Amino acid sequence: MTTVAQAILNGMMTGMLIAIPALGLTAIFAVLRYVNFAIGAYATVGAFAAWYVNTRLGLGVFPSAIVAFAAGGFVGLVAEQTALARLRPSGALAVAIASIAVNLILENLIRFIFGNDLQGFDLPIARDWRFAGLRLGPQQVQTAAIAIAIMAAVFLFLRFTRFGKAMRAVADNPDLGRLLGMDPSRIAMITVVLGAGLAGVGGVLLGLDTAIDPMTGSRLLLSIFAAAVLGGLGSIPGAVVGAVMIGIGEELAVLVLPATYRSAVGFATILLILSLRPAGILGERNI
Amino acid sequence: MLKADGLVAGYGAAEEILKGASIDVHAGEIVTIIGPNGAGKSTLLKAIAGLVPLKGGTVVMNGADVTRKDALGRSKAGLAFVMQEKNVFGTMSVAENLEIASFGNPSGTTARREAIYARYPVLAGKRKALARTLSGGQRQLLAMGMGLMTEPALLLLDEPTAGLSPKAAEELFAAIIELNNSGLPILMVEQHALEALEISTRGYVIVTGRNAATGPGKELAADPEIRRLFLGG
Repeated sequence: MTTVAQAILNGMMTGMLIAIPALGLTAIFAVLRYVNFAIGAYATVGAFAAWYVNTRLGLGVFPSAIVAFAAGGFVGLVAEQTALARLRPSGALAVAIASIAVNLILENLIRFIFGNDLQGFDLPIARDWRFAGLRLGPQQVQTAAIAIAIMAAVFLFLRFTRFGKAMRAVADNPDLGRLLGMDPSRIAMITVVLGAGLAGVGGVLLGLDTAIDPMTGSRLLLSIFAAAVLGGLGSIPGAVVGAVMIGIGEELAVLVLPATYRSAVGFATILLILSLRPAGILGERNI
Repeated sequence: MLKADGLVAGYGAAEEILKGASIDVHAGEIVTIIGPNGAGKSTLLKAIAGLVPLKGGTVVMNGADVTRKDALGRSKAGLAFVMQEKNVFGTMSVAENLEIASFGNPSGTTARREAIYARYPVLAGKRKALARTLSGGQRQLLAMGMGLMTEPALLLLDEPTAGLSPKAAEELFAAIIELNNSGLPILMVEQHALEALEISTRGYVIVTGRNAATGPGKELAADPEIRRLFLGG
């Protein structure tokens, strides 16, 4: 019983971390209508940028996360402007495939610069908390708190700011948006910065939990994509719900299956959702 | 007010849909465009609004030539275009739809929104409802309200009563008359040609992208030839 409860607790914690890049993926899909697989590399870029300023310049967790947002957002914008945006006339599939290429290029650039080794953040060592037979690390709590704060910030931005509302409007109906004076391509670029930046922060939060290497983001890509698909691609609350469910599902799966099958949860989820309910749990439209 | 002259436009390399149609709207008028299916009525409205690129002709709004301006430029010149379909943001609330409609000119948004609620109390009662949950008539009122949020000098309506029940269509015509009585000129395309001509100052008959006839609304509605051709008797 305790084992299952511990798995659920761990899954919720991981899920909240996956939710951040999943928000980025789903926001980009909502406005630009393509699945950006480079989000994995943006997460790695964010993780390495944060690791660099954390270990070399001694910045704490919060400033490092801001650096990660900036780095992820900047690299995302450059990739969009130089490669992905140009392919948009060829259709969503062409852009999605190109984003896989961007993912590979960025991953190998990071490997070239920082090497292949695992890198750990410079964090104070703290003892895990125990209650009712469950373990919870202070670092896990801190990263989960940051993740919740980011989700709240994204929600408030989309809900209450003029620009956030314009983003939702363009995602809903770009033609009407244009008629009312919104510039869909400018809004698309800002969405890319926001989405890639969120991926960057997600990379750091996941790195704080364990360690990072050039594959950090790519390894999580499947979980991130599965979370967004499960919640409904393009749905912001869906990404959060989907991520927590995927997190819990993965942890529960390794109780009965060898750990190497962890990623099978993501694959199975994508397969099931696409065949049974393509709109996802909270999605507005079919993919 | 609006003077659109000799408009030529179409989609892509196919034959032009508009082949030199001309429309005038003067202050205070309701002007209705009628014609058979595929005559280019909606394209004419879109060409005036800047949504279809012009290959010929000129559009002059309040003495200013807006021919080279895009949809946003024409909106700033005082044209508000209400599309036939997909004319609201379905996933956003009524209040958010009205608010975001003033994106290009946000000062005084709240006061303008309250004025829309006062004009259309049914929207005030649904301000938190998602636009996609509205009835057809309510959605059309919201779309018109969004057009009004841009404080237009001329309102363009593309088949405002399409898909509405007879009762909802009647109510919408009443709303259009009320809006016009407040001083806003209206140019619309309508399938319910007879009802629309009855409330119109003037009407235009467009056939295969050209002007076929024009005159006061009631005269056109009474013309036996026009009744026979477009009004089903």
